[in-house]
Amino acid sequence: MTKDVKKSKIETPKERQNRHKAMEAAMVLDKIKHDFKEPPKAMNYFYDLYENVHCKQQALHNDKVKVGTMCIQVPSEIIYALDAVPVRLCNGFYTDDDIGSDLLPAKSCPLVKATVGQFSSYNFTDKPDVIISPTTCDQKAKSGAIIEDMGYSVFDMEFPRTKESEESREYWRRSVRKFTKELSSDLNKKLTKKKLKEAIKKVGYAQHLYHKLNILRKNSHLPILGTDMFLVTNAFFFDKIDNWIEATTQLLKETEQRVKDEVNAAGKRSPRIVYTGSPPIFPNLKIPLLIEQSDAVIVADETCSSNRMFNDMVSVDEWFMYDMVDSVADRYLKGCTCPIFTKNEDRKRRIVDLVREYNAEGVVYQAFAGCQVYEMEQRSVLEAMEKEGIPILYIETDYSPSHLGQLTTRIEAFVESLKNRRRKK
Amino acid sequence: MKKIKDFINNADIRKFRFWLQIFFFVLFVYGGYFAVNLGNKIPMFSCGFDREAGGMCYFLPLQHQLARPLDVLFSVASISVLIGFLTFLLWFIVFNKAWCGYACPLGTMQDWITGLRKRLGIRYSTYTQPQFNKLKKIKYIMLALVILAPVGVGLGLLGGEWRTAFCEICPGRMITPLFVGDVSQWSLDFSTKSAMVLTTLGLMVTGLFFVGSFIKKRFFCFFCPMSAMHYIFSDAALIKLKKDGDKCTKCGDCYNVCDMQIKDIADDVESTNILRDDCILCMKCVAACPEDDALHVDILNMKVFTSTKGGFSKRMEMDKLEEKDD
Repeated sequence: MTKDVKKSKIETPKERQNRHKAMEAAMVLDKIKHDFKEPPKAMNYFYDLYENVHCKQQALHNDKVKVGTMCIQVPSEIIYALDAVPVRLCNGFYTDDDIGSDLLPAKSCPLVKATVGQFSSYNFTDKPDVIISPTTCDQKAKSGAIIEDMGYSVFDMEFPRTKESEESREYWRRSVRKFTKELSSDLNKKLTKKKLKEAIKKVGYAQHLYHKLNILRKNSHLPILGTDMFLVTNAFFFDKIDNWIEATTQLLKETEQRVKDEVNAAGKRSPRIVYTGSPPIFPNLKIPLLIEQSDAVIVADETCSSNRMFNDMVSVDEWFMYDMVDSVADRYLKGCTCPIFTKNEDRKRRIVDLVREYNAEGVVYQAFAGCQVYEMEQRSVLEAMEKEGIPILYIETDYSPSHLGQLTTRIEAFVESLKNRRRKK
Repeated sequence: MKKIKDFINNADIRKFRFWLQIFFFVLFVYGGYFAVNLGNKIPMFSCGFDREAGGMCYFLPLQHQLARPLDVLFSVASISVLIGFLTFLLWFIVFNKAWCGYACPLGTMQDWITGLRKRLGIRYSTYTQPQFNKLKKIKYIMLALVILAPVGVGLGLLGGEWRTAFCEICPGRMITPLFVGDVSQWSLDFSTKSAMVLTTLGLMVTGLFFVGSFIKKRFFCFFCPMSAMHYIFSDAALIKLKKDGDKCTKCGDCYNVCDMQIKDIADDVESTNILRDDCILCMKCVAACPEDDALHVDILNMKVFTSTKGGFSKRMEMDKLEEKDD
């Protein structure tokens, strides 16, 4: 009797949110799995992972302390060394974006709205025990305080907005040292030299695997699609690192074999694209999907949900505690190409270098409507690309499923123009 | 060919350097025992006060030559000065500043002291950037002393004890002979006032050398006039440290490992020749660079050692997972 009552009960907001998110996730996974040629078999691990976490709401880290991070700059090495797991909370769900819209100004960035929206719903599969909010862009910095008001424990991690000067480097190093101390006392765990060294090497190994996989995309026979790569890198946000390493090792092996067999993940002559701008975060893989559905391929990217997370590695000269902490700190500041910095020469150089190294023919630049810094940098990046003779498409979009028709038309036209350009050459 | 290249680019440069340094140390400090004599125009601090030196620092003969009376200095007799200088230049041009990073006995000693500090588990210290910018000028003042003091003697402006004024305060004079059991340099010269001042200064600098290089990596190199002298001619050298700025992400890994704290190595993406006056060409930066071909050491425009992603991971031991013992 009671069971029947439960069944007929009206869905709670939480259940509704989960159902909507599961639908969003399932739809994207379905497209990735079925709209393209056969993906590498090892990708199944990642498809299942997203299904388990986002459709079935399975928790991954029940036995561990979870440290929620609001941006790429929180050193995961230190969190791992303290026996906790970093869970990156940057959110890609339209469902959560919708909830967040009530709490933030209308013209805010959808990523920030979705992140705040999820916090306001108190609905997490792996609920973070503490939240680290680096003061990167205005919207993220301010939402740290909003989230704190909701009753979460938030640590604001001060982050400089310039990175060239020695002062900024010293400031950020201090900030990371402070973070290390506070997190260590908060979690009641002592940071040891051995643990930190192990953590640095483990994250370094994960990066090393990513690089080995990524380099395979330089081949003229592209062995793996960009959307699949986004799934692999996005999984690093929340997956157990050991599982991720194992799955990526498998994927690497299979992809290497595909390179040898000259397997093409897409068409033989699909235009090759470098993707830059606001980060595609599962399930908001709207633009990457549209690109690859329009017979182009993403061969490299410059985004904080993917390449930027893995690119720069830690080097340590003498493995002493604070040498390690400082070296870790440097990795998150000096090589970072985030648009929140005053200058963006590094980002432009990086995009041009990626285009050259990966033999790309064009660049797609996505800015989330409301992400002011990416919107502001658009013009200078466009100019830099023009100077180098690299075609670039700028797209402003958000998480909503509308405008798909218009976006498809623009992307298809861009891909077509790249093909024409090739014919003329 | 590719195999050889991969082998070099993946090599553990620290070990290679450690043994090469020992080899050069024996060659230059104990060379006399093996009847090795590479002359006295060597472009590094292989001290001439060491009786058994296998090759002598150029500064000792240079100072003596410059201390000639002016009319002799600018006469045909000084062709020997010119030849001496050319010999020095020839030595230098072959190895560039690698003399400092690989061969200089005084540099090697500092690396040993660093090794001792590491063993003791003490962390190194660094200069702040403003300190760095001020202190780095000292080596040019030292170089001026090397050249002007003997000229002053030649002009009759200074007493004879100023002839080798720099050697009097150089820590190499007191320390290097110790390795062949000669303690005669460990004394103060009370013959004249300025000799007393100079030898006292020398004693102090030697003390500083030990303390400084224990705290700070390659402490003395920062003030070395030979390093300043090198820099003047380094553009002509065969070995070069090059950088491809397009490939650099400015991550600062190279700067992090640089014993000399040279910031340009990470931040300058314009210059292709990235050798700076403080550089000791130890190549640690190339070994610590995680970008393919961003930093490389060239001989006659041929890349002999270049940064690679694979080499980086290997040296940082990030290319495999560590076996856990628990």
